[in-house]
Amino acid sequence: MSVEKKDDEMVGYRQQPGKLPFSKPGSGGKNQFSKPTDASIIPESQGGSKKQPWGPHPHDELVSGQAIGKPTAMVDSRWKVTGQAHYGDDVRLAGELIGRIVRSPHHYARVLSIDVTKALELPGVIAVATGADAANKFGVLPVTKDEHAMAVEKVRHAGDLVACVAAETEATAREAERLIEVEYEILDSIHDMRDGLEDSQTPIHDRGKYHIGESNIQKRVFQEFGDVAGMSQAAVASHKQNWLFAGVNHAATEPHAVVAHWDPSGRLTLYTPQQVPHYLHRALADVLEIPMHQINVHRTFVGGGFGGKSDPFPHEMCAAILARKAGRPVRICLDREEVYWINRGRHPSRIEMNLHADSEGRICGIETDALIDGGAFASFGHVTTYYNGVLHTAPYEIGAFHYTGARVWTNKPASGAMRGHGAVNSRCAVEVGMDDLAEQLAVDPITLRLANLLPPHSATITGFRVTSIGMRECLERVRAASGWDDKFRKMPLGKGIGIGCGFFISGSALPIHWDPNKFPHATVHLKIDMDGGVTVHTGAAEIGQGSDTVIAQSVAEVLGLPLDMIRIKSRDTDTSPVDLGSYSSRVTFMNANAAISAAMGIRDELLDATVEITGAERNKLVIGDRRIFAKNDPAVGVSYLEALHKAQEDRGALVSSGAYRTPPMGRTHKGAAAGLAPAYSFSAYVAEVSVDIETGQTKVDKVWAAHDCGKALNPLAVKGQIIGSCHMGMGQVLSEEMRYLRSGHLMNPDLLDYKIPSVHEMPEVIPIIVESNDLEGPFGAKEAGEGPLLPILPAVCNAVYDAIGVRTSELPITPDRMYRMIENRCRAEKVSDPLDLASPRLEHSALQDTLDARSNAHTERDIERRLDDEREPYHNGALFGLDPTIPPDEVDPRWAVTVLPSDEYLTTPRLAGSAWKHTERRHRGDA
Amino acid sequence: MLPAAGEVPWRAVVNGTEKELAIESNAILLDVLRDKAGCLGAKRGCDMGTCGCCSVLIDGQPRLSCLTLAAEADGRDITTVEGLADGHHLHPIQQTFADYGGSQCGFCSPGFLVVISALLEENPTPSDPEIKSAIEGNLCRCTGYQQIVDSVRAASQILTSGGSIEDSTAPKSDPHPGFSEEGAS
Ligand code: FES
Ligand code: FES
Repeated sequence: MSVEKKDDEMVGYRQQPGKLPFSKPGSGGKNQFSKPTDASIIPESQGGSKKQPWGPHPHDELVSGQAIGKPTAMVDSRWKVTGQAHYGDDVRLAGELIGRIVRSPHHYARVLSIDVTKALELPGVIAVATGADAANKFGVLPVTKDEHAMAVEKVRHAGDLVACVAAETEATAREAERLIEVEYEILDSIHDMRDGLEDSQTPIHDRGKYHIGESNIQKRVFQEFGDVAGMSQAAVASHKQNWLFAGVNHAATEPHAVVAHWDPSGRLTLYTPQQVPHYLHRALADVLEIPMHQINVHRTFVGGGFGGKSDPFPHEMCAAILARKAGRPVRICLDREEVYWINRGRHPSRIEMNLHADSEGRICGIETDALIDGGAFASFGHVTTYYNGVLHTAPYEIGAFHYTGARVWTNKPASGAMRGHGAVNSRCAVEVGMDDLAEQLAVDPITLRLANLLPPHSATITGFRVTSIGMRECLERVRAASGWDDKFRKMPLGKGIGIGCGFFISGSALPIHWDPNKFPHATVHLKIDMDGGVTVHTGAAEIGQGSDTVIAQSVAEVLGLPLDMIRIKSRDTDTSPVDLGSYSSRVTFMNANAAISAAMGIRDELLDATVEITGAERNKLVIGDRRIFAKNDPAVGVSYLEALHKAQEDRGALVSSGAYRTPPMGRTHKGAAAGLAPAYSFSAYVAEVSVDIETGQTKVDKVWAAHDCGKALNPLAVKGQIIGSCHMGMGQVLSEEMRYLRSGHLMNPDLLDYKIPSVHEMPEVIPIIVESNDLEGPFGAKEAGEGPLLPILPAVCNAVYDAIGVRTSELPITPDRMYRMIENRCRAEKVSDPLDLASPRLEHSALQDTLDARSNAHTERDIERRLDDEREPYHNGALFGLDPTIPPDEVDPRWAVTVLPSDEYLTTPRLAGSAWKHTERRHRGDA
Repeated sequence: MLPAAGEVPWRAVVNGTEKELAIESNAILLDVLRDKAGCLGAKRGCDMGTCGCCSVLIDGQPRLSCLTLAAEADGRDITTVEGLADGHHLHPIQQTFADYGGSQCGFCSPGFLVVISALLEENPTPSDPEIKSAIEGNLCRCTGYQQIVDSVRAASQILTSGGSIEDSTAPKSDPHPGFSEEGAS
């Protein structure tokens, strides 16, 4: 490539004629030339030509043009494509034993006795452990620790752990598994989540004085914001739907596996594919009763997480316990069936969704009631219970909000966090409701959405601080790309198109374990020695989403280095600074920010050294490709290595630490912190489907998927996340379901009967990246890993309605369910041949113009707000005539936040709301 | 102990190297490859023929090694993902998998890669439907397959245009670069 001579010398720098630098010893001496900085990458705010329609960003001055925004292969991909990537079961240590787990065949039973003598007599069996070996409870959330390594007293679901064994070979271990004799007293089990709301003789857990009645209610939430009673009176259109969502599993291709090894110094190293090594680290210390510094958690390559590898797991405890007893390393690899027994998938849910719209086409109220089936353990469920409500208080401005939620224990494998945690099902219900409201109001559903969006830099009804919003652009771009206006309500019977939106947290503002919130959420260390390569220590768990890559890119960008000079060390808790892990879509936002701050430390030192060598003015220096030079006179500069060696004089390697912590924000009511995030992502998808009217088979033909990720640091990875999210959401909406018999038996714990989409079911997905340049995000970035899953479900449901005029209330939409819905519609309309059914059609009402006008006005408002540094606050409620600058509850008593149901509500509660009929033991005075 | 099946000699060419092992006569090929032949690249995702992670080539044909008795592969030529690269030169499909997002978590990749390498061997310019039917037995939970198909198209390009793959041990960036107006690379 040759350098274009331009007057505007900012774009490159001149080497002084005839003065090529000598090769430095150890530099490789290849004389690889530095690339002139590309002006098209440098933001306008720094004198470059990169347009910034969303305004400048605090990180603009760090842009060197090296890495950010370029489609980048994952830095660890070469390991993966050569078979050198070692996942859980690929860790092989000398002298290893194979561990197997004895699991309960009963749904609910008291363990009366366990006889291990026969197993221990079997030649080749080295160690056996039972619940008696580990008395302490653990759990991912410190407020709800309710798990044991193995059953203590009771087993709570079929597949619950009872004992474990380590043997020389797998065959011996399996045989020993059979020789362990367990005597059970079977208890009455419950499997229908509705039963969990009732008092029971033998509740699945005992929360002591915090137990709610004698029921199996693990968590209940009541929240009201705004004038809930008044809103239904103002409504001219109301939507109500009772949903039943089946539970789904992450179905990561790698089954969980773990290797435990106690080294000669008595320290434990646990090799495991974990998304959240830090929480496991804590749980191991509790269960093994040793201090945390005696444990090194080594994260192996992770063969898919999606939330399914983010709890500390009992099998991880078992491996550590067995290895301690045996004095040898122990490896446990779960069968696919066992993966379903430990589950932690999306909660089976019953959601009643009510939406109301007033004569102006405003969403005057949302009332949601969500009962979620937690299975046998708490896991992340405390948070899930909140998320099912609070995560649908945006992107729309709403007049009032009521949420009742309850999570119950049942004798099933535990539900937990899964991609889109807690937001997916209720979002589907809201977006289908929006479609129905648009139908009732006879307006276009995209326009209805566009006319009701919160502006940038606003607060939701629940008090969440929303910064950047690219929702409007997402909607407009999918509308244009899909040819929406020519297709919606215009396609022939059996073909349809539908819209769905999404809103998701970009990291949780409240760390699970740290109270008060004083520690950083993420810390990154850098070390640069004489070779010039940068070693990055981070605890961010690379689970295939590309976190190592995005952190390497961030460091490379700030220091002006090619990616091959950055090496990421993110595996061991011994060497990595504490990181909360890969969940809640926090990694890019928090770790890239921490990495940038660490790199800025090094950058400062390199600039100081350059000043010392060249005598140039410090504030004129910029960093380009492995070279630091004066912006006004690019000939004046030094190579990266020259600056580095200068900086290292008298001290050796440069080290630096950077951290990120969310700013204080949010409100103070009970539960106010759930759903709080430093930024939120937004998305809008359009799906086109075909429904085979005679067989009930639904096929998704094409998806236009727009996602606002703030700034795509690695567009290749962002697109991969969008398409992958479509895959997972498509599975949930059309084919995936953990099917239980009424007896509680799980019918399909395998990948043959649990149907994830194959290549043939996958539609073409057109990923559309919207960049809203979040001011707090690293280079403007927000999350892209979970939010993109949300819109696909409702987009498909709404497209199905467009195709055949039936509204589903049960997922997945399997052919038999679809067939039944079509049959019902035929019966209701007395049509004998389904092919004679009429397709839904749309004749715009007068409201359409009102909404168009409001949407246009809001577009201008939004552009103004995002570019205005002096902008006034904007609180949800302004659309309804309230003062936007004051939180409504501070001026109007009818907007006061309520977190307890009134006696009046309790006379006729909704389903989950009935959880409040019980009194906590401590309030009954009998505990 | 399970009734010992008794060990039998087993030989095969694994990734170009002659292997002679003693195995149990009822051993499954996937176990032999992972536990005895050192091919940890072959992955176990389900153990029942549903995921394709364990795919290997037997005499050039894709097979699910979790459903194959090792005895059936006796005397045959077996290729796992470890056998695709030519020294430090990746196979084009390995390179494009990395460059086009074909791998996210990468657990399914070994299976996809051997299956696709067999496809490209037979048909260097497959159409999209041909690509899809070749990989229909392989599940991927991360990518939604689209970037896998992109990778295959790109690999086909490399193969047909005679493009070459760089030696991964070639020198990397020089931290002390010069700058020349005509020579900037
Ligand atoms: S492990 Fe062989 S197909 Fe899944
Ligand atoms: S890349 Fe993760 S399963 Fe395919």
